[in-house]
Amino acid sequence: MGDFFQFTLTGLTIGSIYAIVALGFVTIYSVTKVINLAQGEFVMLGGLTMYSLSSFGMPYWLGFIVTIVFVSIIGWLMEFVLIRRAKGANPISLIILTIGTAIFIRGIASMVWGKDQLRVDPFTENKPVNIVGATITPQAIWVILIMLVVVSLLYILINKTMVGKAFQASSINPLAARLMGISPKKMASLSFTLSAALGALAGLAIAPIMFPSYDMGTMLGIKGFSAAILGGLGSAPGAVIGGLLIGLLESLGAGYISSGMKDVITFSVILLILLIRPSGILGEKSVGKGGL
Amino acid sequence: MKLQGVQQTKWMGVLIFTLAVLIFPLIITQSFYLTHATFAGIYAIIAIGLGLLMGYAGQISLGQAAFYGIGAYTTSILTVTMGWSPWLTLPLALIIPGLLAFIMGYTMSRLSGYYLAMATLALGIIVHTLLVEFRGITKGASGFFGIPQLELFGYTINQGVPYYYLVWFFVIIVLILSLNIVHSRVGRALRSIHDSEIASSSMGVNTGKYKMQVFILSAMFAGLAGWLLAHMSYSISPSMFTFNASILFLAMVVLGGSGSVWGALIGTLLIKMIGIVVHILGGQFTFITSDFEHVIYGLILMLVVIFVPRGLFPTAADWINSILSKKSTIKLDKPSVMKARRFDVKD
Repeated sequence: MGDFFQFTLTGLTIGSIYAIVALGFVTIYSVTKVINLAQGEFVMLGGLTMYSLSSFGMPYWLGFIVTIVFVSIIGWLMEFVLIRRAKGANPISLIILTIGTAIFIRGIASMVWGKDQLRVDPFTENKPVNIVGATITPQAIWVILIMLVVVSLLYILINKTMVGKAFQASSINPLAARLMGISPKKMASLSFTLSAALGALAGLAIAPIMFPSYDMGTMLGIKGFSAAILGGLGSAPGAVIGGLLIGLLESLGAGYISSGMKDVITFSVILLILLIRPSGILGEKSVGKGGL
Repeated sequence: MKLQGVQQTKWMGVLIFTLAVLIFPLIITQSFYLTHATFAGIYAIIAIGLGLLMGYAGQISLGQAAFYGIGAYTTSILTVTMGWSPWLTLPLALIIPGLLAFIMGYTMSRLSGYYLAMATLALGIIVHTLLVEFRGITKGASGFFGIPQLELFGYTINQGVPYYYLVWFFVIIVLILSLNIVHSRVGRALRSIHDSEIASSSMGVNTGKYKMQVFILSAMFAGLAGWLLAHMSYSISPSMFTFNASILFLAMVVLGGSGSVWGALIGTLLIKMIGIVVHILGGQFTFITSDFEHVIYGLILMLVVIFVPRGLFPTAADWINSILSKKSTIKLDKPSVMKARRFDVKD
């Protein structure tokens, strides 16, 4: 039983990160209908930028803010320089465009930071805490807390603010939104900036646990994409459910079956769910209703 | 339907290309270039299949390396562990990936667009992980050693010129086969699916069947490439069949132009050449590392999608066609040519 609890806690921690990455996918997809496979690279940039800033001796809180701003600018640039110019391209071309961006960012990162895994300090003192027979590090608690805060803030932003309404409007019908004075271009820009910020936040939170390296983005991006697909593209609650589910599957699969086989288990279950419910757990219908 | 413009010269193209393939080793004899040219041939087989899938069936596969790996491992397991003759394993290296594609396509026929991309991505990761984990059968992360060389009429086909010719012999077969498919009834059906799946199914085209056939064919091509790879190199390991390999095949097709058999071939050659140039420059300048290669691949993908979304070959072919049509008195039906090659997916 203690084992089970431990695996669940680990699964929820890693699942929270997948959920934040998946929320980045959903944020961009629901506004622009682009699947941004460079989402994992934002996470990687978040972790590695924090490493550099803290090794320059920047105070932790300042490094945190600078990292998020820096990665957000990269996300904004990506939309402004690339996605906007490929307007009207078909889904396959757009996916390839973001894959190209991901490879490009990864290549640059490996030239800047090298290929080693780097060490980033945890947010607070990292002495493991014991909860009912399972140990959890304070950093893992931070990760889960950040996910909860991000989800609530995103919920408030989308459902309670004017920006959120504009977001929803341009996702449902860009032309009508434009007639109402909303700029879908601005919203597309905003969605990329926002999801880059989300990626950076995920990178910051997970850096002390995962030891960031230039190539960590690929797998995180794939898992985030899987989570978004599993939950149903375009559904924010779906993304969170998908992320947590993948985290749990991975952790329980690694714990009870084999750590090498965890990806096989996870992706087989994803294939199975897609087979039963091709549009994901919460389906794409929520897009039509205008929810993120 | 009459063939038009550049397409008319299809068989001429194959002939000229075959001659170029035959002459290449006579002019360039360094083994470094020959090895790369042989690899280019292996990749070209995969890229042509993927190009058919993307350009004609309008489906994206992010897991083509899985079929490539299965082809390579099928023959390695049978020849090294079970002692089969390499030629006997060739049909199996085609059938097993094809069968997997059939099962996958059959169960996943309800999926399209991003969801199918996800399914192929998942397949790629599952196969790669299984290759590492099933140590008893696949020898784990270190992979297979001592894969036998091919023999033909008592001669061993060594690496170098003989293997180069063998690989490119298969490339030309695949090329002719694909050109025939593209210009046949199936090809026309696929193009109509590409333009409008609903319209073509209402005209009685069995869209699902054709899409499935192309998916299976592309998997079999990848299996063939895997078989060729295994018997070329003495050893294979799972690291050759990763997600990154799938992405590289995608890059080849996108660069050359999907929806064009020649495009995929030319894209492969260009990507391979870029790799060689970066490798050579890397020997001269210390800042050019293998990472730099990836920066360039990424840059190419971005630039191509933005500036030549249909890929280099179809764009160039249309450009030549438009020059030809200005000169000739008979107007070519250019819109239909363009439409046929448009890189456009509706689902």
